[in-house]
Amino acid sequence: MLNKTIGAFISVVLLVWGGQVLALEYQLQPKQIAPNTYLLQGKMQDFSRENGGNIMNTAFVVTSEGVVVFDTGPSRRYGEAMRNAIAQVTDQPVAHVFNSHQHPDHFLGNQAFADVDIWALPKTGEQIAQHGNAYAENMYRMVGDWMRATELQLPTKPLEQDLMQVGDHRFRFYSFTGHTGADLVMVDETTGVMFAADMVFFQRMLTTPHTPGIGTWAKELRELAAIPFKLMVPGHGPVVHDTRAVEQMLSYLDWLDRTLTESAAQGKSMHEVMQSKLPASLAAINLSREEFVRSVVHLYPDYEEAAF
Amino acid sequence: MKITTILTLCLSFMLSAGLQANSQADPLNSVMWDYNRQIFLGNNAEYVFDDRIKVGVPQFAEDPTQVPVDIDATALTGEIVRIVSWADMNPIQHIFTYYPHPDVLPKVSMRIKVQQATPVRAAVLTKDGVWHIGSSWLEAAGGGCTTPSVGNADPYWESHLGETKSRVFKGAQSSRYKFRVIHPMDTGLVGSIPEFFIQQVELRDKSGRALARMELSPPVSENPVITFDLRTTDAKHHLWLRDNNGNEFEKAL
Repeated sequence: MLNKTIGAFISVVLLVWGGQVLALEYQLQPKQIAPNTYLLQGKMQDFSRENGGNIMNTAFVVTSEGVVVFDTGPSRRYGEAMRNAIAQVTDQPVAHVFNSHQHPDHFLGNQAFADVDIWALPKTGEQIAQHGNAYAENMYRMVGDWMRATELQLPTKPLEQDLMQVGDHRFRFYSFTGHTGADLVMVDETTGVMFAADMVFFQRMLTTPHTPGIGTWAKELRELAAIPFKLMVPGHGPVVHDTRAVEQMLSYLDWLDRTLTESAAQGKSMHEVMQSKLPASLAAINLSREEFVRSVVHLYPDYEEAAF
Repeated sequence: MKITTILTLCLSFMLSAGLQANSQADPLNSVMWDYNRQIFLGNNAEYVFDDRIKVGVPQFAEDPTQVPVDIDATALTGEIVRIVSWADMNPIQHIFTYYPHPDVLPKVSMRIKVQQATPVRAAVLTKDGVWHIGSSWLEAAGGGCTTPSVGNADPYWESHLGETKSRVFKGAQSSRYKFRVIHPMDTGLVGSIPEFFIQQVELRDKSGRALARMELSPPVSENPVITFDLRTTDAKHHLWLRDNNGNEFEKAL
């Protein structure tokens, strides 16, 4: 009797414990998308306790002189899992890490790379220094225990050059502002892969909390689409071989601008604007309604102000 | 059956019936419902939860210092005495009290601050003495009431206090008055920054009669943006505001 009880107790403990351990594994599977180039594709979702914040794409390139890492994910746990995933693919050490922009899902894995140079645009470094802790706190609230032991690790190197040769790969850097005021796009000229980060979203609706203006973003997207590339890696969503991700975004930004302008001209309240119906082609994009509602909060006050 | 038993049964039936009429369960099951109801409606006020009172809020407070709220009681028949709105879980619960004139549609929009996830309420008192309650649940990360106003980091408001922009949007059946006024709307909950907010808003006609009269509390967002809807489409009106420091602002619309 006692043995049975103890046995049942132990199996319950094991089940609960085992379940938790399983639940908090990111299970990263590097997918080769070009020669020496690997993608860790996140889910096209919002932050949640189920996905642990793994909603963005990170990538790495194995050069003859070490690995180049592009973005480090939303948590220390993710950064460590990414480093393990890299070690599964190559014996090369990590040589350089890049943080594309100030949003938490792109740099909170930095702790796992504290022994390596971490590059970011100078303004991104300032933004992370200013807002990084608040972002981390917010992530703890949204995804919970996945964040355990995650602390702010700032980028260590301000990226000021346009070009960097790492072993047999040549990387070119472009500095944009459309998504957050400082947005790094990296093109591996050796393979033709463009790491567009959150300047580009595809099949997952774009987010606007820190955009300097959707007009600026749209203008820069046209510039970005003119840069030669063979494969584009968006910050969120699947890779593309052409500019269709940019076209999808431009179509949304154009609709958004028109909707907000017309609503302001009609005197609509913010809540009334949130009820606007998205055209079917845009409504089909993941999280389109949720992100539209958020964008109304971010952007509508300026349109209202202009309409007085 | 003994008479006393029958009497007891009758009495308990009467008691429970009486209780039911006066204590409809809160559909949002908020721990603060009874407390706020007693403060804003009074202890023995008669009330009903009424789907005709629309409280429009987004599902989530993307910015807890600027949460859009639309209150719409136009589906209600019967003359409205006043509308009281509050957020159950805010440290300052009261948002506004609105006294709409019959020429004004009982409909108003603004933005508010919230400190955490909360029910948002609109209680509409009709002339027959019954309160009609509309409620919506708002998710939020919080902190809206204890965050210093943006204006506090920037002296812009000091030289532009009370500066008002406004516009009339004419519709077929009604016209909308929308205005934005520069004011920090400080809650008094931020260290060493006292309460400083617009307390009174009146939309007046040519003769000075108030068509819409509103009392605001500090949860109304900084630089308030407010809309009123009028049944008339042509008359001349002006806006009168006063804050809790006695500053008065007027603007022809």
